[in-house]
Formats: sequence, structure tokens, C-alpha cells
Amino acid sequence: MSLDYVKFTPGFGKFMPKEYRDMVDFGPFGKKTSVSQVGTFKEILEEHPMCAGCAMTLFIRLAMIAFPNPEDTITVGTAGCGRLAISQAAIPFVYGNYGDQNGVASGLARGLKLRFGDKPKDVVVMAGDGGMADIGFAQTLHSWFRKEKFTTIMLDNEVYGNTGGQESGMTNKGQVLKMAPLGKKFEKMDMLGMAKVAGCAYVATVVPNNPRRVESVIKKAVLIAREVGPTYIQAYTSCNIEYAIPTEKVLEDCNVVENDRYKFSEYISDEAKEALAHLYGYKEYLPKPAKAIE
Amino acid sequence: MYLVAHIDTEICANTSCKLCTQFCPEANTILYNNNAGKDIGLKYGSAYVAVDRCKGCAQCVWVCDNMAKHNAIKMEMIDQIGDQALTENITYSEKNSTAILASPIRG
Repeated sequence: MSLDYVKFTPGFGKFMPKEYRDMVDFGPFGKKTSVSQVGTFKEILEEHPMCAGCAMTLFIRLAMIAFPNPEDTITVGTAGCGRLAISQAAIPFVYGNYGDQNGVASGLARGLKLRFGDKPKDVVVMAGDGGMADIGFAQTLHSWFRKEKFTTIMLDNEVYGNTGGQESGMTNKGQVLKMAPLGKKFEKMDMLGMAKVAGCAYVATVVPNNPRRVESVIKKAVLIAREVGPTYIQAYTSCNIEYAIPTEKVLEDCNVVENDRYKFSEYISDEAKEALAHLYGYKEYLPKPAKAIE
Repeated sequence: MYLVAHIDTEICANTSCKLCTQFCPEANTILYNNNAGKDIGLKYGSAYVAVDRCKGCAQCVWVCDNMAKHNAIKMEMIDQIGDQALTENITYSEKNSTAILASPIRG
């Protein structure tokens, strides 16, 4: 968990694969990289087996670029499509058994705090809607109620994409799927409302059709989780297989869904605003000067 | 044979948008060479595709046609592209990534 763990033992560099050598020399570790520089540095995400044109992959890629300190970050995931890509990155990945990801992350965040004290060590949970809102629902909500200091990101594709198209708690009412031929009978779960009730310091929805916005949301969420408390991001990452979206129309679908039911929203608690303004130089959250009395 | 994305350097190097590099779902696939257009007298650098990583989803084509409105990216058969960038020929430097272009993959 320091910059040294990505470096070679002296003398062994020339035997390593090219991708690894590029990562050590031109990766984002220890530098400030942003989405606008992408294409000119080696990204920490590598080749992965996810479907061509998957919006979830795009979101994961942008999230990996946006981590404020990638060398001090551990990702936690669970069964589902997302972990196929998240596990192929040059940062540690912990696989929580199905639904356990927020419980595993709780212990991990506490352990890192005990071991490293005030040094920033970030834990980021990235799991699908099924792993988080259905099977891991209790552990997710309990970790929020306990105010565990880590970031939770839901990759919401509104279906069980990995197992053939069953409805999940986050599927919209009336949606017909391959394994839900009569259409879903219940409303989509309001995880955003529950996150606010459970006391998350930062709650946001985002669609990956705006890379700079994804970057800013992830940076804020990770920094707030470091200082204040749990943070939650719900990202719409369409499943182009189960929802039969042609790959070249995936971003068009993102635009349609964003305008329809996934508008960008952001909730920041007052404590989190103060932490961002004073510790990380976010000027927009500084207290406004009082108006002059007329 | 299969389709991969191909970026027209002459159109791309007239603009500085870089949108396709941000919207590709594959990492390290659409890269940016700051010097690509300058040797042919154009103002900016150009994006290029590492063809061995491209999965052919054509999202970059939609982004270039509809968001950037430059129409610089087309899907082409991999053996029809003149010079190709392969991961093993790509070198990174500060604020740049350049590729030694190889001849087309035949067969």
C-alpha cells in the first residue's frame, strides 16, 4: 500500500511484460491525472472480458481514472458483470462473497485505519444492482447506518445481466425481460432515499455520458468517505445485451434515460461541504459571506 | 476478418476535441499523439486506435459523428487499414503517446 509496491525489484524490469513496464513508468501512480489527459498515460484498467460497447465498462474505466490516489485505493466487488473488469486493474481487488461486499469493505476500512492511521487509504465498493439492492441489501444498509468510512458505487443496469435477464429490485415497473416475461410488478427501489435516511454524507446519481461529471462525482465521494462518512453513487450503466441496445446507440440511450428518469442529482451534507472546502480546496463549498446590511 | 475503428488523422488533427479518448469503454485503446498532425502541417495532434485492443463496438463513431460532429472515425475491416498501431509498438512519454505504425494484418 505505497508507491513502492508497483515498482520492480532492481534488475527484473526487463523481464516484465510491456504493459507492466508502461504502468510503472507512465501510469497514474503518484501523479495527478484527469479525464482530459486520457490517451496520453497508461491507465490502470487493462484488457477485460466484458461485452463490446458495455456502458458499465465505460463507467468503471472513468471511475478508475478519477480515483484521487489510485496507489492507496482498494476496490471491493461481488458476483456480477462489473467484477470482470474491476479485477483486471493494477490496484488490489477484494471479492466479497455474494452480497458481502459492504461487510468486507467495513472490516477492510477499519483495518486500514488501525494500521495506517491518518494516511489516506481509500476503500471503494463497486457492485451491481442485484448484489447491492437485493442480495447484499442488509449489509449495504447496515454499513451506512454504522457510518463506515468508504464509498459505495452501484453499477445499476436494472437487470441481472450475467445470468440471463431476471428482474432485480432496481428494474423499472412493467419492464419485460427474458426471464421476467410478464413484466415487473413492483416499483424500482428508492436506494437514493434510503441512502439519505441511513445517513450517507454524499449521495449522487450519474450517467456515464459526461466523463468530467463522473470524474468530479467520484473524486468528491472518495474524499468525503475519507474524512466524514459513507458515500453512495448510483450510476446508470445500461446492459446492451439484455435491453437489446445496438452498441453504437449505447450513449444515445444514456442521453434518453438521463433526460427521462436518471437526471443528475447530488446531495452533500453540511459537514461534508465543510470538509471539501477546508481540506481539499473546493471553493464552491466555502461559506458565503454575509450580505452587507443596507 | 472483423471491423475495428479507424481515425482519419487529417480530419482529427484539425481539431482538439479528444472526445473519443474519453468515451471508449476499453482502456488504453484510443490513444492520443500530440505530434501526429504537426508533421503534415496541421495544428493539433490526433487520436489513434490500438487495433489489437479494439472490440469494434463503434461507440467512438457515434461520439465523433453526433457529439463532436467531425465524422473522422469509420469502422473498417482490419486487413484494409493501411498503417496500424499495435500495443507492442506504442511508447508513452510525458503528455504524449506515440505508436510505430505497422503494415496491415493480412490473412
